[in-house]
Amino acid sequence: MVSGPNLNLLGQRKTSIYGMGSLEDIHKGLQSRAVELGVEVECYQFNSEGSIIDCLQTAPDKFEGVIINAGALAHYSYALRSAIGAMLLPCVEVFISNVHKREEFRHKSVIAPVCVGVIGGFGKNSYVLALEALVNLGQM
Amino acid sequence: MSKKIAVVHGPNLNMLGLREVGIYGGRTLDDINADVEQEARRLGVEIEFFQSNTEGELVSFIQQCRGRLDGIILNAGAYTHYSIALRDGIAAAQVSTVEVHISNIFKREAFRHLSVIAPVCIGQICGLGSHGYILALRALMVEQFEPWLV
Repeated sequence: MVSGPNLNLLGQRKTSIYGMGSLEDIHKGLQSRAVELGVEVECYQFNSEGSIIDCLQTAPDKFEGVIINAGALAHYSYALRSAIGAMLLPCVEVFISNVHKREEFRHKSVIAPVCVGVIGGFGKNSYVLALEALVNLGQM
Repeated sequence: MSKKIAVVHGPNLNMLGLREVGIYGGRTLDDINADVEQEARRLGVEIEFFQSNTEGELVSFIQQCRGRLDGIILNAGAYTHYSIALRDGIAAAQVSTVEVHISNIFKREAFRHLSVIAPVCIGQICGLGSHGYILALRALMVEQFEPWLV
């Protein structure tokens, strides 16, 4: 599970949009669902675009799927899009908030077309649903 | 009291399994509804299924969910991209609605990238096949959406 810029500040900024929970809380929720599903999850957060790309490039060596909340990078990072496309692993894009209720520049995700699917608007539950989706894909 | 949730399918979804199976998969609408029903029983939820090809019938059904149901799972098909009437119906119903698409609409034609109903829904799930309906059902299981999400 990879989180992009500013997600390390969850619970501390714009809580009316992103809620009071911290990224740590999200990681814990995801880990406990992973135990129930019998899968292992590793969580990463980077503010640097290049660090996310480095992480994704090595992901196929270690993982079978990726959950990504690219934060604001979702809306303009073609480098991230290329990295996801190149990784050849199923990737589910997640948003905490419903981006379609917000500013117009957030309505478009440049990474969505290279992801399997998108789940957004359900708070930290978005991540749990994405994990369930990846596990389901693995069983198909 | 158990939750009551409507699963609403828009135009052409009655043809699932019969048309464009490369995009939408080989499962029929009945197959998908049976899976949702099974998950609903597990979760102790009551489901009402509705499918119509007619925009007005979808609007009327969604209006009638107001005060009667606890959630709506909606795959509005192509109406997603242009039916302001459906959008107004969802807003008027005041029922938490989750938008579902079987395919990843962002991989497809540009006219499918915009959803006019997304801003009045709680959230969107797309690209995950018929499993998207199951995920939507689980998404609606929260006691109450935190006010900042609604």
